[in-house]
Amino acid sequence: MYLPSGVYHETYAATHAWWQSTFVRAKMVLLVLFVLTLPLYTNLYVISVANIILYTILSALGVQLLIGYCGQITLGHAAFIAVGAYVTAMGVLFWKLPYPVAAVLGCLLAGLWSVFFGLPSARIKGFYMIMTTMAAQFITVDFIITHYVSRVGGREHYFSLPPGTITIGGWPVDSEIKVYYLASVLTIVCLAAMANLLRTRVGRAWIAIRDNDIAADTMGVNVVYYKLLAFFAAGVLAGVAGAVWIPSLLFVSPEHFQLSWSLWLVGVVLIGGIGSLHGVVFGSLFVTVILEMLKLAVFPLSEFYPALTERFLYVKEAAFGLAIVLFLLYEPRGLGYRWQQVKNYFNLWPFAY
Amino acid sequence: MRRPVLWMVALALALPLLGGPGWAQEIKLGSLNDLTGPTSDVGKDIALGIREAVQYVNDTGGINGKRIRLYLYDYGYRVPEAITTYKRFRDFDRVVGVLGWGTGDTEALSPTVGKDRIPYLSHSFSAKLTDPKTAPYNFVYGTDYSSNARAAMTAWFEEVWMKDPRFREARSKAEKPRVVMFYAFPVPYSSAPIKALKDHAALLGFEVGPDQDVSLVALDTKSQVLGAKAFKPHLAWHGNTTMSVAATIKDSHALGLGADHIVNNWGYDENLVRLAGPAGEGVMGAAVTAFYGDRVPLMDKVIEYGKRMNPGLPQEARMIRTVQSWVQVLMMAEGMRRADRAGKFTGPGLKEALETLKDWTPGLGKPPLTLTATDHRPGWVIPIYRIKGGKFELVKQVDLKAKWPKQWDGEWFGY
Repeated sequence: MYLPSGVYHETYAATHAWWQSTFVRAKMVLLVLFVLTLPLYTNLYVISVANIILYTILSALGVQLLIGYCGQITLGHAAFIAVGAYVTAMGVLFWKLPYPVAAVLGCLLAGLWSVFFGLPSARIKGFYMIMTTMAAQFITVDFIITHYVSRVGGREHYFSLPPGTITIGGWPVDSEIKVYYLASVLTIVCLAAMANLLRTRVGRAWIAIRDNDIAADTMGVNVVYYKLLAFFAAGVLAGVAGAVWIPSLLFVSPEHFQLSWSLWLVGVVLIGGIGSLHGVVFGSLFVTVILEMLKLAVFPLSEFYPALTERFLYVKEAAFGLAIVLFLLYEPRGLGYRWQQVKNYFNLWPFAY
Repeated sequence: MRRPVLWMVALALALPLLGGPGWAQEIKLGSLNDLTGPTSDVGKDIALGIREAVQYVNDTGGINGKRIRLYLYDYGYRVPEAITTYKRFRDFDRVVGVLGWGTGDTEALSPTVGKDRIPYLSHSFSAKLTDPKTAPYNFVYGTDYSSNARAAMTAWFEEVWMKDPRFREARSKAEKPRVVMFYAFPVPYSSAPIKALKDHAALLGFEVGPDQDVSLVALDTKSQVLGAKAFKPHLAWHGNTTMSVAATIKDSHALGLGADHIVNNWGYDENLVRLAGPAGEGVMGAAVTAFYGDRVPLMDKVIEYGKRMNPGLPQEARMIRTVQSWVQVLMMAEGMRRADRAGKFTGPGLKEALETLKDWTPGLGKPPLTLTATDHRPGWVIPIYRIKGGKFELVKQVDLKAKWPKQWDGEWFGY
């Protein structure tokens, strides 16, 4: 760990502190200030892009936990986001619960649902576990939600929440900016909770399982218990993402939670860097902003080459695939690692190491 | 080696900034289309038609001298993609109006466009979008799905069931006609008219069989057809788009379902004739404009622009969808002209202008359309066609308002 000259630690607590120097503290305060004041100096378009970034961060956090910290590859995370979103929406629409209560219920159910599909991890791992998580995707979204849940209430297979139904303690969440604040507060809370969880016995057990489950077992880690705990935590995080999705669209349909979104989240984690919380943030920023840049380029150019917009979805999917391949080739440790490199460079300047 | 690549990427990203503002007299129009998703079988022709029609409007003087600038985006029939793109249209491109596509996304966006006060003219004709009390800023140019389904069922009942000698014996035994419905359960477009259709079946004295779930991208529908066959239906209604409707009709033919077919307007076009072949003979359906190449006013322009702007595409491959796009764009352009003349070129101004349309038609076989501030239903006379010898033949103009005046202004409004 890099420490500037003149900073000493006298207690164990100080050596484990997150922010060890005044410079870092000032930097973090500035970051929080920036996040909180962003709506003051940008337009609604930037805010709606920021909302997608925050939703992607919340969605990818659980994937990072499972893949990056517990070694359980998951291709069905969208299913648990769907459970969170649907329970929240149904709580508000049909059971007339306040939004926060419905959201907490959604998180818990998403967690339990995730544990249910994590149960096979007690017996299998690797490719077989990947198959199980894909089964979670198809059973939950394509079968249960599409054919049964979305017909509840006779709303013709989709849920649309009337504006103004989502309130937190009497405060209606009905605009992009309010959703932005809700999402950014939840993202900060979840990131902090995750970061702290990883420093506890639980987090160390997860990492031990990721590195070698047999070794972890011999050291006395209850592998099954901690794997299921990881699935529960990932499910709860997915539930939070689902609950945030509801006020941002006031609408929910199975189309939001297809296999492609699960794969997208794995891509985010790969691009950001496996086993890095910074990576989740950088990966989400990268994939969302790159897409918007592509749109920015495609729309004006379509004046001259109309075929561009007509083929844009292909370009988009191809660009995402290309990004993953390029990252695996040239930046296998992801953007999070590059960020550390950049920080090191400036910390050590003018020396190379 | 790496430098030139980097420069090229930077240049590609910087290009739009260079070409940014310029045209002073410009009206921005957004359009959401499906060119790659499950409804692309009908969506590709629509997108080509929109571009051609906008070019035609610009070539003929634009909107009182102002040019329309089109932002056409392929959202792949994904609702979230449509919503984020709509937000981009609203906050970044700042469009005056939007041309929409699917039922799922249009209904999902309906409360939002009402709040943002941006007129939204969709290709989705879901009946929910025609009630200004719940969807004030939504407009459709064709008769809604529920009315289309009711009209097709009425036409079959009156022209086939009551007259055809095939059913003489059944009629003499006072048997009830039996109907089954093939549609994609989870797709809002396909399921939108189901409630209306079932009500109408009860009204005409039909017996309704078990619904069959057919995906929009289905190629094999044998299990659904067999599921329906046990019920021995006289009539089958199809609520999907052309591809899967053609697959179902062919499988019904092969497995001897023995039912007549009626189809919603998005499954009924020139491609159905080609794809279904002999199985398609006698299939009835609704169409909201003339078919491509029919002898109606303005069709010469549609064909001229089709040939000029998309020379690579053979004329035989063009469909009624192009004609529908022209009607959509011309209706939006007419609204814009009126709003501009009234000096209120804003969202609410455009909405009011569209609501002044009275017996308006651009030609192209579009029945005259009248909108008011309290009723956005574009019409009540629905032409029902039948495929005969590979050509479309008009069976009947069903006048729903004349037949059921009480229901038309009462319980049928808006669902």
